[in-house]
Amino acid sequence: MATIELENIVKRFGSATVVHGLDLAIADGEFVALVGPSGCGKSTTLRMIAGLEDVSAGTLRIGGVVVNHHEPKRRNVAMVFQNYAIYPHLTVRENIAFGLYTSGLPKEKKAARVDEAARILGLEDLLDRRPAALSGGQRQRVAIGRAMVRNPSAFLFDEPLSNLDAQLRNQMRIEIKRLHQRIGATTVYVTHDQVEAMTMADRIVVMRDGRILQIGTPSDLYDAPADVFTARFIGTPAMNLLPASHGPDGLVVEGAAAPIRAPASAAGVARLLVGVRPQDLVCTDAGAGADPDVLTVTGTVTAVEPLGPETHVHLDTSGGPVIALAADRAAPPVGAPATALARTRALHLFDAASEQALGRAAEHA
Amino acid sequence: MARISARTSEPGVVTTAPLPSPTSPEAPPRGWHRLSMSQKQVVWAWGFLALPILFYAGIRFYPTLDAFWLSLTDWNLLRPARFVGLENYARLVSDPQFWQVFNNTFAYLLIGTPTSIVIAFVIAYYLDRVRFMHGLIRALYFLPFLTTAAAMAWVWRWFYQPPPIGAINGFLATFGIPAQPFLRSTEQALPAIMVTAIWAGLGFQIIIFMAGLRAIPGTYYEAARIDGLGELAILRKITLPLLKPTTVFLVVLSSIGFLRIFDQVYNMTTNDPGGPLGSTKPLVLMIYQSAFSSYEMGYAAAQTVVLFSILLVVSLLQLWILRERT
Ligand SMILES: Nc1ncnc2c1ncn2[C@@H]1O[C@H](COP(=O)(O)OP(=O)(O)OP(=O)(O)O)[C@@H](O)[C@H]1O
Ligand SMILES: [Mg+2]
Repeated sequence: MATIELENIVKRFGSATVVHGLDLAIADGEFVALVGPSGCGKSTTLRMIAGLEDVSAGTLRIGGVVVNHHEPKRRNVAMVFQNYAIYPHLTVRENIAFGLYTSGLPKEKKAARVDEAARILGLEDLLDRRPAALSGGQRQRVAIGRAMVRNPSAFLFDEPLSNLDAQLRNQMRIEIKRLHQRIGATTVYVTHDQVEAMTMADRIVVMRDGRILQIGTPSDLYDAPADVFTARFIGTPAMNLLPASHGPDGLVVEGAAAPIRAPASAAGVARLLVGVRPQDLVCTDAGAGADPDVLTVTGTVTAVEPLGPETHVHLDTSGGPVIALAADRAAPPVGAPATALARTRALHLFDAASEQALGRAAEHA
Repeated sequence: MARISARTSEPGVVTTAPLPSPTSPEAPPRGWHRLSMSQKQVVWAWGFLALPILFYAGIRFYPTLDAFWLSLTDWNLLRPARFVGLENYARLVSDPQFWQVFNNTFAYLLIGTPTSIVIAFVIAYYLDRVRFMHGLIRALYFLPFLTTAAAMAWVWRWFYQPPPIGAINGFLATFGIPAQPFLRSTEQALPAIMVTAIWAGLGFQIIIFMAGLRAIPGTYYEAARIDGLGELAILRKITLPLLKPTTVFLVVLSSIGFLRIFDQVYNMTTNDPGGPLGSTKPLVLMIYQSAFSSYEMGYAAAQTVVLFSILLVVSLLQLWILRERT
C-alpha cells in the first residue's frame, strides 16, 4: 500500500515530447483511472510509474520515496498488461507463482498464496492447465492472479479488458472492483472506455495530448466537466453542443425556438457553446413555450433508437445533430418535426473559442 | 500429411453439405462437386505434393535403398555386382581406419554442435540488443555462410601456416609463444578444422536464433522485470524455454551438418585429404575415398549405410530428448 505522486512528470522520446508535465497525487488505497483518446500518453505514464520507461523530467514518488531511478523490482508495483503477458510454457499455477519468484518465501507459503489467489479468482480447477487451453477472461484472471500474490504497493492496469467481449468485460470489471475493495491497494487503471472509468474509479484523470485536462470523481466529471473535450468524453451518448450568442432577449441558441435567459457567467463571451446531456433533453408533444428558463430545441427526427429503459431520438436541428430522450418511450416517427425541452439549470456553458467551461447556467427563481 | 489427415477427421468440416452443381441444381451433385470442402482441399494438397514426392523418391529414396543393396555386394565398377552377404560390414568392423574415422566423426559432432550452438546463441543474444550498426554486424556474421568452403579454406590455410607466412603463428610470435603446427599435427589438426567449420555455420545459426528471439513478445520481459527477475533469471526462465523450438531445430540441423562434415576437411588438407595419419578424416571423406579413389563401391555403400544409421539414430534421439512435454 502506498501513495503515488507525480510532480511535473515529462516524457520525451527523442525530440518528441509525449507527456508534458503531469501533476497527480494518488492517495493510499485509491482507485484512479486514466482516460483519454488513443495516443494521449496513458500507457506511457503508467509505464513510467512501473519503471519500464525512464522519466525524462520531474519527480515520481511511491510511498513518499523518490523512485525516478529505481528498477521496477525496487518499486514493488504489479502490472497487468493488455495482452496479459502470461507465459505459454508455464501452467496456470506456475504463472501465478511467478509473481513470487523473488519473494524468498518458503515453498509451502508460496503454494498457499497461489491457492488463495486462485480461489479468489475462481481458477482452482484450472491450475494445471497451460494458457493455450484458457479463454480470454481466464487468461486475464491469471495475469491478475500473478499480480495479486505479491502484495504490491500498487496495482497498475493497462487496458486489461479491451481484448474481451462486452459481456465478459462487464463481469471482469466487477471482479476487479471487488478485488480492489477487498485488498484495498492503490490502483492506477488505464482505459479508454469511459464506462469502465466511471464505474470503477474513485477519481478519474482525463488526459489529452500528454496533458491532464481534469481530475475529479466520476460525478464531478459528469456534472461539471471543465471543457468541451471532457464533457463529450464522459457520459453516453455524448453531450449535445449547440452554438449560441447574445441577442436582445437573452441567449440565442441555434436550433432552439426561443432565446433563453443569459446566465451571469456568459457575460462578456461573444460566442458560446451550450451543452445539454441527452438525458436532460426530453421530447414533448406540447408546443414551444415562452419560458426563458427552458431550452426548446426543434428539429426533424432522423433516427430512433429504442434501448429498452430509454429511447434515443436523433434530431437534425439548425444548430447541428442532437440526441434527445423520448418521453415515456413514445418516440415521434422518423421524418416528423419534433420538439425537446431541457431546464436551463441542466445546461453547461462553454466558451466556443477556448472550449473551457463557463459553469452551469443557474436558474433564476 | 499429419495435418491433412487431422483436418479431414474434424467432424465440423467433414459434415459440411456438398455444394450443389451450379449447372443443374435439381440433379444430385456429381464428380468434383460431390466432394466436400475439406475433401477438395485434400485433393488439391495431394495434387501439389505429388510431383515433389515423386521427384524426391526418385532422387533420394531410391539411391538410399540402392545403397543398402550395394553394401551387400562387391561392386567395383568393372565387374557386375556379386552378392557377398555381410562381408563388407565385417571388413569395416575390423578396419582400424574405420574406427579412427568413426571417432573423428563423433568428435566433430560432440564438440562442434554444442560449441557452435552456445557461441551462436551468445552472439545472437547480445546482437539482438545492439542498435548501433546492427545490420552491418549481422551481415559480417552471415558472410561466411555465403562463401564457398574452398575459398574460405584457402584463407584459413594461410592463417594456419607455419611462420613466417601463417597469420596466427605470426600473432603468437609477438607474444613470444612458440610456433604451433596446427594442420600438420595429429592432435591440433582436427580442432583447427573444427574451428573453421563452426565459423562457417555460425552466421546461419545466429540469424535463426535472432529470428527466434525477436518472436518473443517484449511484454514477457517487461512482466518479468516488474516481477523482479534479474537478467539471468529472465534468460533461464523465459528466453531459453520460449526459444526451445528454435534450439531443437538448430541442434538437429547442426548435428547432421557435423556428422556429414566434408568440404572443410577436404579443402583444408587437399594434398593429404584426412590430415596426418587420417587424424581429421570424417566418415564422408572415407566414403568418398573408398568410392572414387579405390572404386570399392560395395565397401563405400556399407559405410554409407552406417552413416545413414548414425544420422537417423542421432536425429531421433535429439528429437526425443528435446521433445515438447505437455
Ligand atoms: N517508444 C516510443 N517511441 C516513440 N514514441 C512513442 C513510443 N511509445 C509511445 N510513443 C508515442 O507516445 C504517445 C503516447 O503513447 P501511449 O502509448 O502512451 O498512448 P496511449 O494513451 O496509451 O494510447 P492507446 O489508448 O492507444 O493505448 C503516442 O503518440 C506514441 O506514438
Ligand atoms: Mg496504451
